Amino acid sequence: MAVTVKRNPGDIIFFSITAVAACTVIVFIIGILFVLLKESSLAIQKFGVIQFLTSTEWDPVKETFGALTSIYGTVVTTALSLLIAIPVALGIAIFITEVAPNFLRAPIGIAIELLAAIPSIIYGMWGLFTLSPIMGNTVEPFLKKATASIPLVSVLFQGTPMGIDVLTASVILSIMIIPFTASIARDAFNLTPAVVKESAYALGTTKWEVVKNIVIPYSKLGVFGGILFSLGRALGETMAVAFVLGNNHRIFTSLFDSAATITVTLANEFTEADKDIYLSSLFYLALVLFVMSFVFLAIAKFFLLRAERRYSR
Amino acid sequence: MTREQARKAEGVVALSLSTLSALLGLFWLVFILGDVLVHGMQALNLTLFINDPAPAGAEGGGLRHAFVGQLLITFFASLIGVPVGVLGGTFLAEYARGRRIARIISILSDIVVSVPSIVIGTFVYAILVKPIGHFNGWAGAVALAIIMIPVVLRTTEDMLSLVPWELREAAFALGAPYYKVIIQVVYRGAATGILTGILLSIARVAGETAPLLFTSFNNSFFSLDMSHPMASLTATIFQYATGPYKTWHAQAWAAAFVITVFILILTILGRLIIRWRYR
Repeated sequence: MAVTVKRNPGDIIFFSITAVAACTVIVFIIGILFVLLKESSLAIQKFGVIQFLTSTEWDPVKETFGALTSIYGTVVTTALSLLIAIPVALGIAIFITEVAPNFLRAPIGIAIELLAAIPSIIYGMWGLFTLSPIMGNTVEPFLKKATASIPLVSVLFQGTPMGIDVLTASVILSIMIIPFTASIARDAFNLTPAVVKESAYALGTTKWEVVKNIVIPYSKLGVFGGILFSLGRALGETMAVAFVLGNNHRIFTSLFDSAATITVTLANEFTEADKDIYLSSLFYLALVLFVMSFVFLAIAKFFLLRAERRYSR
Repeated sequence: MTREQARKAEGVVALSLSTLSALLGLFWLVFILGDVLVHGMQALNLTLFINDPAPAGAEGGGLRHAFVGQLLITFFASLIGVPVGVLGGTFLAEYARGRRIARIISILSDIVVSVPSIVIGTFVYAILVKPIGHFNGWAGAVALAIIMIPVVLRTTEDMLSLVPWELREAAFALGAPYYKVIIQVVYRGAATGILTGILLSIARVAGETAPLLFTSFNNSFFSLDMSHPMASLTATIFQYATGPYKTWHAQAWAAAFVITVFILILTILGRLIIRWRYR
């Protein structure tokens, strides 16, 4: 259906303007990559790639910088939050698509979308003032007591429960990504053709068996893409965790430890970096984060597109 | 238990769990919103909007500087982001319709929308703050605009694609050049949808904090000068909530209340318009 542009001067002008506007997106990606590379070149020269990614030393005084503590914090909080969020998000998606009576579907869908619209700084502040005391006074002492006699698990819950720690940050992060994962999963579930589901019902299956054996296998590509997308988002989330993580550079073993993620390090230290190599190392961290999240988001998009192409015919 | 009963029992358990998780989602929504409402209402008063901050820790004072700064930054971000986004979306849905380039840009936009906003902050710091030598409001507006453009671009593309192709053919048949068809026919058909996209994109950037930390930074004083550091509600919330004073905490809650209500109203409005227009 594409139209070839006639040599009308108005069209040539409008074509050019819109084309330039559309290309800004490409310019952003290349620009971000180029600028971050340029700004971090000092740190790249000094610390290299492998050493920077594997060194746990982040010491502004001695001017040696390694990213591993931040990367470790990012990976652990993200993994933990996904672990909490995925079952709940899938449950919500199943509820909206299969369980809820028709008059409840739209309101609950909207409620979940509102949860997604709340800005991350609100989550962070709520986490600091409301959730963190609850975690520190009630939930974490309970977890500590309950796991005290289990050999390997108790390591995860060692130390004084303060509420300002990895566990609280991961819980806030999981609440943030639940609506996001749920809405992508819902869209994926909705791609299942009604005819296939009805055929299964006609054979006498229960509703849960339809979900388990028809809907989930049918939509697994989309759901997987949605999970990867949430992962890409959780990696880069800043304000929701900045309040309750403590920005402490070390390799922690207990979930009651304070920690640092790439984003939290950037948020806390970027404006305070007084030396060139310090600032350059922070840009290097930003570059690592950009590449990490971009790769995950791209893979996620690939899966979502394949899911769409396969089932929406 | 017979086989049938076991199957039914399994179903009841699984679907109850699914219902429970939906309730859990609702619980968090009510918990967070309720908390923001209760704390925010307590701290909300008129002086908050008309007074500048009192000296740190002292009673009274307001957040006029942050409200005005937020409005200015968001306004200029929209002024940059909306035209670029709408025009870009026009290219994808019209001139490049069905071409590979349209598909690539569309996919890249979906990815850029979710790229960590703090990275965009560092990027803008490098191009607009470092060369100038100090934080400034323009940098904040540009950072938000960069986040806004892919959002507006994608919704515009989707909304223009919903306008029936026959409508354009009818206009072509009258001898209209394509740009006139787009401006006078296609835009009119998709106006509500595009407007909704703009509303939602403003809702998206209004709550952004991370990209402002290194660009517009913050300012404890009232300022209309975009070429200098500028206060924003979100950066002020971050500063006040992590600060030591009770009065700061109360004002942070009030600011959180205002920004949450603003964003939720925009979001609900957007959904309602879509539902009303495209049902």
